Amino acid sequence: MAAKKLRRAQLSQEMCERLRRYQITTCQEFLCLSLLELMKVTGQSYYEVQKLLCKVSRACAPRMQTAYEMKLRKSGNPSSAFLSTTLHSLDRILHGGVPCGSLTEITSPPGCGKTQFCIMLSVLATLPISMGGLDGAVIYIDTESAFSAERLIEMAAKRFPAYFDSDEKLLCMTRSIHLYRELTCCSVLKRIMSLEEEVISKKVKLIIIDSVASVVRKEFDTKLQGNLAERSNFLTRGASVLKYLAEEFSIPVILTNQITTSLSSGPGIRADLVSPADDLSLSEGSSVSGKRDSGCVTAALGNTWSHSVNTRLILQYHDLPTRQLLVAKSPVAPFSTFFYTIEKSGLVLQDRKDQTNLVWEGTNPALQPIRVRSSALKDTSHDAALPSTTGETSRNTSNL
Amino acid sequence: MQREVGTLPLAPALRARLAAAGFQTAQELLDTGPCGLSKEIGISREEALEALQVVRQECHGDAARTAGGSGATRKCTALELLEEEQAQGFIITFCSALDNILGGGVQLTKITEICGAPGVGKTQLCMQLAVDVQIPECFGGVAGEAVFIDTEGSFMVDRVVDIAAACVQHCHLIAEAQQEEDHRKALETFSLENILSHIYYFRCRDYTELLAQVYLLPEFLSEHSKVRLVVIDGIAFPFRHDFEDLSLRTRLLNGLAQQLIIIANDHKSAVVLTNQMTTRIGQSQSTLVPALGESWGHAATVRLIFHWDNSQRLATLYKSPSQKESTVAYHITSHGFRDVQPPAVTHSAEGTELNPRKRPRTEEEKQ
Repeated sequence: MAAKKLRRAQLSQEMCERLRRYQITTCQEFLCLSLLELMKVTGQSYYEVQKLLCKVSRACAPRMQTAYEMKLRKSGNPSSAFLSTTLHSLDRILHGGVPCGSLTEITSPPGCGKTQFCIMLSVLATLPISMGGLDGAVIYIDTESAFSAERLIEMAAKRFPAYFDSDEKLLCMTRSIHLYRELTCCSVLKRIMSLEEEVISKKVKLIIIDSVASVVRKEFDTKLQGNLAERSNFLTRGASVLKYLAEEFSIPVILTNQITTSLSSGPGIRADLVSPADDLSLSEGSSVSGKRDSGCVTAALGNTWSHSVNTRLILQYHDLPTRQLLVAKSPVAPFSTFFYTIEKSGLVLQDRKDQTNLVWEGTNPALQPIRVRSSALKDTSHDAALPSTTGETSRNTSNL
Repeated sequence: MQREVGTLPLAPALRARLAAAGFQTAQELLDTGPCGLSKEIGISREEALEALQVVRQECHGDAARTAGGSGATRKCTALELLEEEQAQGFIITFCSALDNILGGGVQLTKITEICGAPGVGKTQLCMQLAVDVQIPECFGGVAGEAVFIDTEGSFMVDRVVDIAAACVQHCHLIAEAQQEEDHRKALETFSLENILSHIYYFRCRDYTELLAQVYLLPEFLSEHSKVRLVVIDGIAFPFRHDFEDLSLRTRLLNGLAQQLIIIANDHKSAVVLTNQMTTRIGQSQSTLVPALGESWGHAATVRLIFHWDNSQRLATLYKSPSQKESTVAYHITSHGFRDVQPPAVTHSAEGTELNPRKRPRTEEEKQ
């Protein structure tokens, strides 16, 4: 809309010619001038210039809709308003599932299940509408090369054994998940901007970017001069393109984020650490020395990014192998927590009886403290006691 | 009449010719007449006539202004202003603590800015106000309509439905408690459908669309004269990226602020803006301050800052011409914006007409 040329705004030919001599060709440039400048440039009187402004504004301004029309449109096809996650308690609290038309962010320490969640949602999006899916293709932008097609098939087969009963169906599902590997900020942005045509041609119903934080943190070191502003610039630009895609096509967009340590006391500079191993040692140190308030682990990418996403889900550790899912920011849901484990079929919610002991009240979603795995090898005895369906967790612990 | 030609709102080329021909005051122009003017400076008779009409309109406007009549700039005494202010309605927020520190609620004809960290409740308050502005007068509202300009895409219709349903429910309960005729009549038109139909929603994707929409607002408001609230949710978002030229940004923001002040005054409506917080890195510490810079702080008349204190949401009145700075706590429930705990109940025999917006709380509701 901004780049709309003035001749399409129904200005007369001579006016457009005259404005071109001053290098004003788009509506954006026209609207940025003050009234006096416009009078000089167009050579018209004050009242004429106001009429011209109204004309150009009409060409750019958005269409009006009443809230009632929006509600009718939504209730007209209710299935397209959400992507059900098949985690029933979560769906209930989110009024249906991951909302379409807005950005949802999943933040967690490494190894908690972000990529697993994304893979699970990719499977769900390809399911037919009768089973709660969106019956469409998925665009998966992978910056960490963490996507595993074998895991995808394993999850699909174990989660919906009745539906994916033949290899044919599994292959059909994999064909509708389009994977893009991008390794720099620039290429991610370029890819996002080119997505509009892909969404139409491939009938895409879900966009996943895993993860935004890894490319951004590799390239922008916020301790250096000017990098903080550039990083905010890049993030808000990406966010507005993604919001446009989400709203225009009414599809959910899922982004994953990493964690950082914000040092609250002392010189309170937000230190963005690059390696997750550093985060671990910092939180280790603080709990050992007993000074809990010397730093806390929160979602990365700063304040501006927390404004840009509409929904924020936080995954954190509880005790092995149980993890916890927090709904930290949502326009429709209150702050809530759920326990889950990662199984062969993906994420599975646990209904724990001791949930009532924990009194959870939310706080600033940008500063919500996240629990990381505090012990590496201690709990081998704990592990052995549990049924080992969770092949992943035992592998992870041994690697650390 | 003695106004100089150079200050008249004519086309610059025409002004240049008049100056070259030696005209100095508007009176000279009017005395010459269209034919004489066209011969002297070499323009067509129609153009001369148009110019003279503009001059006459300007001079009449000036005369009316100096004579103290009503025009674009009004002159009145402080007493008249006091009477106006006292008769003016407020838009309540359903959180009585917040209404109290604001002096009754969000004031009409003023710009109120709400700054806050992400997720603290700015959009929730905006949606609440868009519903509350429509409360009929007999319940203590202003019975107006709302314009909602959304730049961040955080407007959720389902949430507005919840808030509106709770508001209608509240009014029904008051009407039952007080049993007055005009209450019942007002409730016939105060339904969920009507509330939603009177929220006019615009989704602006970048600052160009926002500028265009604000230019077109006066016309829209003249057509929809019942609008009493204009909400711009996210005035910071479109201006925070893609702006290398910071002075252009300041200029555009100032222009926007001025237009909004004119809109608020001319159409007797409240303007509510929401702003983001940004990190300012100081020498020894970093603090959260409202975004868009220092000069933007002058634009709003009333400034509220929403922030967290551990898990409690707080609202601080940061800038107000008539109320003092204070902080209150608030809650966001499934019904919308509310107090943290119900206000103290005053049980008096004739207490029903003390405050038409409130109803005496029965024991079951005190949760």
